[in-house]
Amino acid sequence: MKQADQDVTTRIVRRETHSARTGASAVAAVLGILFFAYVLLESVLQVLGEQPWLIDPPTFGHWLADLPAEVDPVILGLSGALVFLAGLLFFLPAVLPGRRARYALPNPRAAVVVEGEVLAASLARCARMQAGVTPQQVLVTVGRTLVEVQIRPTSGTPVDAEAVRAAVEDELTLTKLDPQPAVRVRVADAGVIGQ
Amino acid sequence: MNATPRTLNRFLLGVLGLVLMGIGGGLVLISVWPAAARSWNGFAADAGEGVASALSSTALPGGSGSWIWALLALLSFLGIVLMTGWMAGQGGGRTGTLVSEYDDDGAPGRVEISGTVAEQALRTALRENPDVTAAAVSTYSVKGRTALRVRITLRQGAAPHLVAADATALVETLDTVLGHQTPVLLSLEAGRRLRFSREDRVR
Repeated sequence: MKQADQDVTTRIVRRETHSARTGASAVAAVLGILFFAYVLLESVLQVLGEQPWLIDPPTFGHWLADLPAEVDPVILGLSGALVFLAGLLFFLPAVLPGRRARYALPNPRAAVVVEGEVLAASLARCARMQAGVTPQQVLVTVGRTLVEVQIRPTSGTPVDAEAVRAAVEDELTLTKLDPQPAVRVRVADAGVIGQ
Repeated sequence: MNATPRTLNRFLLGVLGLVLMGIGGGLVLISVWPAAARSWNGFAADAGEGVASALSSTALPGGSGSWIWALLALLSFLGIVLMTGWMAGQGGGRTGTLVSEYDDDGAPGRVEISGTVAEQALRTALRENPDVTAAAVSTYSVKGRTALRVRITLRQGAAPHLVAADATALVETLDTVLGHQTPVLLSLEAGRRLRFSREDRVR
């Protein structure tokens, strides 16, 4: 593959495995539009010399300037805390990595991205074949560093946890995930009847 | 893979977040700490005087208003336009043409290959695979290059690496047929069920 294609592929993988923050941006843009629309309305009213709609800007300025004066400090503090929290809700998406539950598989030709759910389903199928149980008895959780397999065995039929772990690990090795997550198998003490 | 301006999103979200956090933190500070409230009052009184003198010195001839208000109206109109542009810039990036090349072989004209060629070829070929329940192919423009996005919905429990290998072979065949390599994304997905919550990784 050419270097330019390689670069584009790397970029695609990064963009597919991280969130674009579209939702938060849309909310922020709507808030911004509302804010600017209000400022536009009030300033046009001022230019025309009309009555203000909600509050006269100089009055608002004076109220703001001697703020803690006539306002209940509890209400002021609480509303301040709420505004701070709202700010945090916008600030955190801006700085957190925003990883999605998607994993990149190495591939010589294309950018390959697998949803965690797909990976979990394939590992669950593998574990269930090895343990000889029904799909409802296996629960697989895929994380970045750990794959957890939970099995509820059929009553009276023991499940070899080590064999299941080896089978799941083999299947995981075939996907060539990097970094390779560790595999943990937990077999429940209580079995299920009539499967 | 779409053309969402991610850096801009994060920057503007960060700015908005910091502004709101500053206002909120300031409100909390002046409500609980008298010294902060006093220094705010002192600062605000000076600032208020400055604003008042600026307003009176910029009064419109013949009117009572100041042209600062007109400027503010103009700036907020600009702000609305910019915010709308930001919102409209989310997503997008689809194109219709996969290849557009001029090959200097004596024949006049350019060669253009529509994206639907690759889309239909790949979709039909992928449908042969029993592990694939659905496939959708679309053409995007990434960094001035066209790229194919192949979304493959797998049957429950299918091995993703096998489907990926199969799809890679198909893409390589397509390369040979078109005589042109484009970047490709193979996105292996679980079926679209009704999902309102965050992406889960449990099955």
